[in-house]
Amino acid sequence: MSESEAVHAEVETLFALVRERYGGRLDAEQLAGVRTAIVGIVEAACALRAVRLTNADEPGQPFAPHRADP
Amino acid sequence: MAEDVVWSPVRRLAEGIRSRRLSPVALAETFLDRLERLGPRYNAVVTVTRARALEQARRAETEIAAGSYRGPLHGVPYGAKDLLATSGGIPTTWGASPFKDRVFDFDATAIRKLEEAGAVLCAKLAMVELAGGMGYRQPNAAFTGPGINPWSRDAWSGGSSSGSGSAVAAGLVPFAIGSETWGSILSPAGNCGLAGLRPTYGRVSRHGAMALCWTLDKLGPLALTADDCGLVLEAIAGRDPADPTTADRRFRYDGAGPTGRRFRFGVLRDGCEEAVRENFARSLEVLRELGSVEEVTLPDLPYDDITRTILFAEATSAFEDLIESGGIAGLTAPEDRYTAYARDAILAKDYLKALRLRGVMAREADRVLATLDALVAPGRTTVAAMLDGEVRSAIRGTARDVMGAVGNGAGLPAVAVPNGFGARGLPTSLQFMGRAWEENLILAAARAYQSRTDWHARHPPEA
Repeated sequence: MSESEAVHAEVETLFALVRERYGGRLDAEQLAGVRTAIVGIVEAACALRAVRLTNADEPGQPFAPHRADP
Repeated sequence: MAEDVVWSPVRRLAEGIRSRRLSPVALAETFLDRLERLGPRYNAVVTVTRARALEQARRAETEIAAGSYRGPLHGVPYGAKDLLATSGGIPTTWGASPFKDRVFDFDATAIRKLEEAGAVLCAKLAMVELAGGMGYRQPNAAFTGPGINPWSRDAWSGGSSSGSGSAVAAGLVPFAIGSETWGSILSPAGNCGLAGLRPTYGRVSRHGAMALCWTLDKLGPLALTADDCGLVLEAIAGRDPADPTTADRRFRYDGAGPTGRRFRFGVLRDGCEEAVRENFARSLEVLRELGSVEEVTLPDLPYDDITRTILFAEATSAFEDLIESGGIAGLTAPEDRYTAYARDAILAKDYLKALRLRGVMAREADRVLATLDALVAPGRTTVAAMLDGEVRSAIRGTARDVMGAVGNGAGLPAVAVPNGFGARGLPTSLQFMGRAWEENLILAAARAYQSRTDWHARHPPEA
């Protein structure tokens, strides 16, 4: 995977967060694997952000109010 | 009982049972013996449910002898992916070592419905741990070992319904229930030379099934023929108050045989390996005898990224306790022990963007499908991975799968059927994907294809 500078910066910020939360239970090889996975997540996010949507484009899943049967 | 019942389609077994030429008890004994004897060869089985199977088979035999015939699954053995809850002390392991002794005190709705249809549960079948939701990269990602392909024992049976695929292909059960979040029915069906049906999201209740991704998970059958998949779907489909995502739409399988209908097929071009491409081209020649085939396109959207982001975010929430507690360290595949931690990097607004784009994707897919009976494509872009190789996966971004991303992201039904053999003598497959709720139409197309080919009548020589 190639990283642009913008992606790189975001990856490093998010990797720092994940390392802060879980680094104590991971070895160097596992941390490298986590970083690679974050690169994929950020690249996917960039692809999503690149698509313009309108205010009317709602999430494609319904929410239904709940009312228990009497 | 003669071995020729092995690899008999459900429909043929049902005829024998109904006419009392076949005994459900003897049938169960035959498949229980094969599960116990051959199951370990393929790492296909977690638990052989002998006592429950014989109890159900005896009940079926008594009922049928008394003239009470429930339908085409009455007395027919089957296996269930081990993410469906079963009562009676039968473990439900989710394929994962941390859960290998866990027992539920109720049956999943799909298990209950199959019992009501008279089917005989003979085994809980192996699967990739947690249905592959933790990021595995290799076949050896289950506490039962890698799923072994009956067509070549150095190849994978597929994921994540690996045991469901290898058990049906090896003649250990006539049909099996699998689940698909992204590829987990079509992949093992394709790898093992079977028919596999991914129903429309909401067609089959997931109550009692392990949740991987609430808005992507589906349950469906793997069987020898598309026709058998229709018979099984009718038994497990339907509204279930325990699963609010189920739709209030009745499904009655229309399996009356070839209708003479002229189908309209669309093809989305996507990259695949040479033998897969060649077999697909030959399949298109057959499909042109059944109707028209035209190339279609979808708008340029990041389909894989949409579905992948939804899957990662929901799977990580579904297994929050296991991940946060460090319990994933007990999983089998080394990468499953840490990859999920990375998903804390998914931002809420990106997950919501994926959900909003899913709506666009669903509308665009339906717009294309509205002019067709089915989109067709290779079931998988490659043959099965080697057991010691890396599994290429669109879920991790190491392969492309637009059909899978759209089909699963938009909740559309698809059926895969075998269409030849590729590298190392491994099966390849053809998939038909339809509009939401059009299972009967894609099954009719798949049946028509299977009426003109005999790939589904071939079985692994060693099994």
